[in-house]
Parts: sequence; structure tokens; C-alpha cells
Amino acid sequence: MTTDAQTERNRWLLLTPALTILTLAAAGPLLIVVVYSFLTAGDYGGVVWTFSTDAWFSVIAERDFFDETLSFSDAHLSIFWRSVKLSLMTTVVAFLVGFPTAYFIATRPPHKRDFWMLLIMVPFWTNLLIRTFAVMEIIRNEGVVNTVLMKLGLIDSPIQMMFTEFAVTLGMFYVFLPLMVLPIYASMERMDFSLVEAAYDLYASRWKVLRRVILPLVKPGAVAGSILVFVPSLGAYVTPRIMGGGKQLMLGNLIELQFGQGRNWPLGAALSITLLAIVMVALIIYVRSAENGETHHG
Amino acid sequence: MIEIAGLSKIFGVGASAFTALENINVTIRENEFFTLLGPSGCGKTTLLRSIAGFVNPSSGSLTVNGEDMLSKPPYARPVNTVFQNYALFPHMTVAENIGFGLEMLGRPKSEIKSVVADMLDLVQMAPMADRMTSQISGGQQQRVALARALAPKPKVLLLDEPLSALDFKLRKEMQIELKRLQSETGITFVFVTHDQEEALTMSDRIAVMKSGRILQIGGPKDIYDHPAERFVADFIGDTNFVSADLVTEANGIAQVRLPSGKTVEARSPAGGAQSGSVTIAVRPEHAVLSEPGALIDGRLKNIVYFGTDTHYHIESDGQPTFVVRRQNQPDAVEHHQVGDTVGISFNSGTAQVLRD
Ligand SMILES: Nc1ncnc2c1ncn2[C@@H]1O[C@H](COP(=O)(O)OP(=O)(O)OP(=O)(O)O)[C@@H](O)[C@H]1O
Ligand SMILES: [Mg+2]
Repeated sequence: MTTDAQTERNRWLLLTPALTILTLAAAGPLLIVVVYSFLTAGDYGGVVWTFSTDAWFSVIAERDFFDETLSFSDAHLSIFWRSVKLSLMTTVVAFLVGFPTAYFIATRPPHKRDFWMLLIMVPFWTNLLIRTFAVMEIIRNEGVVNTVLMKLGLIDSPIQMMFTEFAVTLGMFYVFLPLMVLPIYASMERMDFSLVEAAYDLYASRWKVLRRVILPLVKPGAVAGSILVFVPSLGAYVTPRIMGGGKQLMLGNLIELQFGQGRNWPLGAALSITLLAIVMVALIIYVRSAENGETHHG
Repeated sequence: MIEIAGLSKIFGVGASAFTALENINVTIRENEFFTLLGPSGCGKTTLLRSIAGFVNPSSGSLTVNGEDMLSKPPYARPVNTVFQNYALFPHMTVAENIGFGLEMLGRPKSEIKSVVADMLDLVQMAPMADRMTSQISGGQQQRVALARALAPKPKVLLLDEPLSALDFKLRKEMQIELKRLQSETGITFVFVTHDQEEALTMSDRIAVMKSGRILQIGGPKDIYDHPAERFVADFIGDTNFVSADLVTEANGIAQVRLPSGKTVEARSPAGGAQSGSVTIAVRPEHAVLSEPGALIDGRLKNIVYFGTDTHYHIESDGQPTFVVRRQNQPDAVEHHQVGDTVGISFNSGTAQVLRD
């Protein structure tokens, strides 16, 4: 026999490893970042242990070099905005492409699905840099697309696609697509396809079947996929740096800059927390609206 | 009403091609309770799905009220299906499930509401209208599936083994309920089962299927009393098979000579019997025990008491064991003993000559 108190103690004992890892890997670093954001930047990087809110003001303001007054600056804000915009676009495009892809795979005969999933997963196991350079090879001025179009005589000079927001979005879309396909495929594979037949049988057109039966049933997968694409897009820095060529900075690049050449660790820390806040807010809004949609459909 | 002519379905191509339906010809009438009966894998579901539009036949024609169906997608056919696993939409309530078909047809909200209410009453599910389908029992899901398929008032209702997932008692209840719904709505039911008893008790007519072909179509009594083929006789009910020689055959009546040398009258199958040695079928309850020197003589091997009736197992030379079934009467005295030599007789015309 065990008493309630014993069970309680055992429970905490069992949780200890998980709690330790969580503390070391998540809560601890987060705390350090918060503390750093309130310190003063060292001249050669690092921090000086003097309390300062400068970093936080710098997130949305600039300190004048000479008279040291603060004035509002949209330099960072425009980068925030671009990050959110491109991440949203990446998520939407990944969904528009990922959903039919997952549907296609889920409707193949079972023994052929693994093959198609493998095709989706292989790029995912490839180095991020290589994948990004592959996209670049396709759209750069001397790349596949431009060469073909010029050979065909459709254009006289190459279309500038690299170093644009389009390039960044395309790169991130390509890199993160598997993260959209996987969860949608998982919930679609679990879906009972006789429900689709039942809907057809009850006079639903293809579009109605999609809207009223398939989409509601794979919604958990679509929500998971969207989060899995949106969150890393928001913080991405390798892809924006290569595809944007330093002209299309995103939040990830801005943060990286502060810890590198910028030598402003407190600002980097403050920006990191801002990024985290944006992610949290976006997630809350998204999950809320997804839930509402659910109860709305019944 | 439903006219099916020369319908075939071949799955796959080349070496892996498989003929699931072979030259199906059948006319299903208005308001009929029509049953497709056959063993597993004989093509019942494939035929039903061809009518619904989920299977594309390789050849043949299919019309409903003279209107070609094969060129139409499932959602354009005046046919609804009750799926074997019910296939209720898990993200909708009972009422939303039932109203789905009407909603897709673009009916006004007020009409949907009143039809759904009628349907809920019809299947006695009104108190559970707002439950999700995962929150009701198997039998209740079955009723909802029925109501959902009936709500758009289809001309034909297709039911693929709708009762197979239910336990015995509920199954009996739902059999009666289905018959009631069919007569109340006047809709043609095409019902699939591999349970011969279910087929016999519920159907107006039965099509017995085997390996993609229809062997025999007829009313339950017709099929039971006069099976045309050995397979049908064997599949439906219990039967004694006796080998005999065909003597004469005219107007559907055959004279056959039994191994005992005695001649008896039997019905010949539609299309005539083969000449020479034939097999005749005699139902156990159509035969009676009598004194030796009857149509067939043998030794009583076993007496099995079943409560409602008694089975006598009789062995005779060169024949499989013959079973005679006698209905038990109160206070009846058992005259026979195991080991006795007995005779078996049956009336002219109760025996049926079979095609192999
Ligand atoms: N899509 C398909 N591809 C290949 N063969 C199929 C396909 N669907 C059915 N078959 C085959 O066709 C035959 C008939 O199948 P069907 O499902 O119609 O049988 P059934 O009479 O309904 O059997 P059960 O009583 O087991 O449900 C089976 O041998 C089956 O293996
Ligand atoms: Mg079947």
C-alpha cells in the first residue's frame, strides 16, 4: 500500500529528470538572455555588468551619436515586419503546396506511400546550406530558369530574382515544406476515406467534400504544420542571408548581427526576447482562431 | 427500376487482372427489398459500389428508371448508401449528419430542419440529435447512418452488410426495423449480406452470387425450395444430396431413378437438367422416416435432439449421410433406435434436380 503522500513524492521523483533538462536547456538560457538584455554592451562584445535599459530602447529607437538623445527609428520595425510578412507568406505557400502533396501521397496505394514520403524527406536530411544553394542555382541570373527563358527567347536579359523577398520566401518554402507535409499527411492517413465516399454519395461536389469533410478532419495536422513552418521561418537566418544577400534582413539576421559584428549583446538579447514574444502572440492568435473555427463547424 | 445488363468488372490489367463481376444481368423492381447473397469475395460489394458509382464497370449498362447511371458521378445519382462501417462524419452532430445530404442539395434551412426532425423520429434518435457521433452506441450509429441515407429521399437505398457489426439481439431488432423503414418509405432497398437466414427473412427477392456471377434470382421460398445449382442448395439451408439417374424430363418435371431402383418425380432446374447421372436435393424437413422398402433404405446412425426438432442421421451404401428432420410434438414417443434399418420417403415434387 502506498499513501497519497508517497504517490505524490514518487511523482515528483519521476519528473525530476525531465524537470532538470527543462531547467538546464530552456528556463536557464532564457533567464540568461533576459538578464543580458538589461546589461551594458562591452566594447569588444560580451557584457558589462551595469544595469541599463538602453538595449530595450534600441529595439525601436536610435541614440544620436553626438548628443546621445533617443529618437524613434523604424529600421528594426521594418525588419520585424518583413520577418512576419515573409514567414506568413512562406506558411501560406507551404500549405497551398503541402496540402495537395499530402493528399496525393495519402491516396496512393499503401505500399507506394513510403516511396513518396521518402522523396519529401530526402531534402530534409540534406544540409541546409546545400539545399539553399540548390534553390539559388535555380533562380540566380545565370541559373536554370533564366538560362532556359533566354534560350527560348522569351526574355532578353535575366530576371533579377535573387536577393529579393521572393527569393527569401522561395528558399524558406523549399526548406520548410516537409514540416508542412508531414503532419498533414499523418492526419490524412488516419482519416477514414469512406467518409469522403459518404460525402460524395450524399450529393457533395468535389469542392464541398474538400471544404466540409477533408479540411475539418485534417485541421489538427494543418495547424501543426503551419506552426512548424511559421515559427522557424520567423527566426531563420541562413536562408534569408543567402537568398536575400544581406539586402533582405530578417529578425534572425538582425540578432546574429548584434552578437557578431554589431558587438551589442544586450540588444541581441532584447531582440531575441522580442522574437519570442512575436511567436507567442502569433501562436495564441492562431490557435484561438483555429479553435473557434472548430466550434463554429460544430 | 434498376436495370443491369451485361455488367462486368475486371480489376487490374494483364497477369494480375481479376474478374470481380462477370456478365451480371438483373432487374430490381420498384419498392423491392432486393438482397445480394453470397460468400465472402463473391463480388457483392463491387456490384453495390457499381450502382453507387464508386466502381467503374469494365463493360455493361446500368440504368435507374431508364436513366443511364454509368456516365454520372456518385453525387449525381439518385442513390444513397449505408456503409458497412457507417462512415458517419465525426466532426458533426447526429442532426448535422442527417441533414448533410439535403444541405448539399441546397435545400432551404427550414425544410432541412423539418426533414431532420422527421428522420430523427423515424429512427427514434430525437433525444440524441445534438450528440457527436462518437458519443452514441454502435446500434445508434447504425440508425443515424440509415437516417442520413434516407433523408434526401433517394430512389434507391444501398446497404452493405449494415447489420454485421451488431450483436445478435440488436441485429434481430434492426432487421425488423429495416423492414419497417422500407415499407414506410417505399424506397427500393438493395441489401448485401452473407447471412442466408437474414436474406431469407427480409427479402422480397434474393440474388445468390458466387465468384462474380449471379447463380440464381428468386423469392426466398423459390430459392430455398427450388435451388437450381448445387452451390445454391448448399449455401442456403441444409440439404441432402442424393445421386440419381435422369429417366425422363418434360415441362420442368423430371423422373429420376434412385439407387434403390425406385423412381420419383422431381423438379428440374430452369434451363433443364443434364442427362444421365444427376444430383437431386432433398431438404431434411421434406423427408420422413418410414418402414424399410421406401425410396431410400439405410441404417439409423444417430438421433440428435434439438428441442424444436429432432434430426435422424441415416447411412446408406454409396451415399453421403442423409438427414431427416422431424418437428417435435409434445409427449411424442420415440419409436426409432440407433442401429435400426429404416426407410426414407419424400413426396413427389419436393426433390429438386440440380445443375452442378
Ligand atoms: N480495388 C480492387 N482491386 C483488386 N481487386 C479487388 C478490388 N476490390 C475488390 N477486389 C476483389 O474482388 C473480389 C470481390 O470483392 P468484393 O469486395 O465485391 O467481395 P464481397 O462479396 O463484398 O466480399 P465480403 O463478403 O468479404 O465483403 C474479391 O476477390 C476482391 O479481392
Ligand atoms: Mg463486401
